Amino acid sequence: MIFLTLLFSTFREAVAKKIFLGFFAIATIIILVFLFLINVDSVEGMVDMMEFSGEEGVKQLVIGFEVAMINISYLLIITFCFISVSSFIPSMLEKGNIDLLLSKPVSRTKIILAKFLGGVLLIFLSLCYLIGFVWLILSLKSGFWHFPFLYSILWLTLSFAVIYALIILVGLVSQSTILSIIISFFLVFIVCPILYVREEAIFSLVSNSGAQFVINFLYNVLPKPSDINNITMNMITGEPVKSYMPVYSSLLFMLAALSVSIIYFKKKDY
Amino acid sequence: MNIISTKNLSKEYSSKSFSKEKILALNNFSFEVESGEIFGILGPNGAGKTTLIKILLGITHRTKGEIKIFDKEISDESYKKKIGYLPENHKFPSYLTGEQVLTFFGKLSGMNNNDVKNKSDEYLKLVDMEKWRSTKIKKYSKGMLQRLGLAQSMLNSPELIFLDEPTDGVDPIGRKEIRDILCSLKKEGKTIFLNSHLLSEVELICDKVAILNKGTLVKSGRVEDITALSNNYKFSTSEIEERTLNELLNNYKATINARNEFSYSAGNVENLNQLIDFLRENNVLIHSIVQEKDTLENMFINLIESQN
Repeated sequence: MIFLTLLFSTFREAVAKKIFLGFFAIATIIILVFLFLINVDSVEGMVDMMEFSGEEGVKQLVIGFEVAMINISYLLIITFCFISVSSFIPSMLEKGNIDLLLSKPVSRTKIILAKFLGGVLLIFLSLCYLIGFVWLILSLKSGFWHFPFLYSILWLTLSFAVIYALIILVGLVSQSTILSIIISFFLVFIVCPILYVREEAIFSLVSNSGAQFVINFLYNVLPKPSDINNITMNMITGEPVKSYMPVYSSLLFMLAALSVSIIYFKKKDY
Repeated sequence: MNIISTKNLSKEYSSKSFSKEKILALNNFSFEVESGEIFGILGPNGAGKTTLIKILLGITHRTKGEIKIFDKEISDESYKKKIGYLPENHKFPSYLTGEQVLTFFGKLSGMNNNDVKNKSDEYLKLVDMEKWRSTKIKKYSKGMLQRLGLAQSMLNSPELIFLDEPTDGVDPIGRKEIRDILCSLKKEGKTIFLNSHLLSEVELICDKVAILNKGTLVKSGRVEDITALSNNYKFSTSEIEERTLNELLNNYKATINARNEFSYSAGNVENLNQLIDFLRENNVLIHSIVQEKDTLENMFINLIESQN
């Protein structure tokens, strides 16, 4: 009951801060643009042409749309999500608010877990709306019901959850929304993509084995949203997934970040 | 029965992050609060009052010492179900209405939906906030927020209530109403732990007080014992002649308020009787002699000044 109250409060905060509304507006715009795109004459003609060339042609077209959708979701939606949820922890820690929360018979572990699960659930539902609608439109239009595209909701949620665990940790330590946003952006859009292409881009420039070891170490330790995004693409296009190691190591990072957050929060004086 | 008891409670803070230099916020603080009393904690700014409350509530961790609330070590968090708390400068989520605030914190205290609803109605009425229940609290004044905070602290029918500056920002009429609420809570057998800078208020409602200075307990006891009678006497007499007045001023070091009124600080009863003899010899009629009582405020200021 107490845990659900905390979980629900995260939703309420998101609604009050117009986070849900903002997400809903962006997702609706994307859906409408998508709806418009697949109804324009040239695309309709392309669909007709693909239908003429057989079931495989339609599949390829649908998968092409889905891949484009995932790229849009990954960039736009995840970015929006980070900005939205980064204020959850710093606002909870504001003086006068945290005192009251900690005076209630609820453990600090539950508070952190409720904030985490609340944020993850929020993004999961938002992605269900966006990806679900796009999937429905594509399926109705093409007659090809491609379920692996729906699984991308889980993969995108996982990518978000891994970084959100870090946002919680940074938020707890720094009590700053801005710093949480900066660090998550730096990690997702700069560090992780660079580490993802380390063998092609960095190792050709850095031949020192020590430096290469450090870079490999960072790659293995840090979360891998770029890799998870690639696995999602592979699943949609039906290509084999080479390794699930990025998923496991990202999950491990998430658990480690959450554990450190809980330990830090438990020890901290407010 | 003791509701709160601490033994050699201490708290050290680092002066800066990563610094080894320590600040002693509480120093071997031992005290007891009995069931059903209003206990006031007094002290200048930075004395450690809020730190003490936060430690008792598990918001801040102690460095060493024992704490028992309801006869149990506070590491067992179940005691929090039986307490209420109004923090100083509390901050409720501004997007909630008054009623939603009570529902949220009531549920966090482990109350069910029905209890929350019934108690919200009862306490919103008690603090005169019924008509504002559906208004978002960002529109509330400071006084309204305090009233709502007080309702929140009483919502789960706690046995022990911690109030940190409960009348801060409240107008005099509101203050009187809050005092009345606290007194009625006491009649119900609740224990109240009060931190207030308004010493006159503390004097009016508290049974016992503890005075903290620089993290150390400097005095504690019942209010009437702490504000013990002084050796100051106020005389009301017939009109006194100029010559006698001069003698009172120079020889007895009396403080003349008017030709028929003066105060005298007698070191002992003999001195007092000597002055009475002097007045009678000079044909002064004594109307009344009143022994002056020290106020809590005077006592507090004198005590802290002597300490510093």
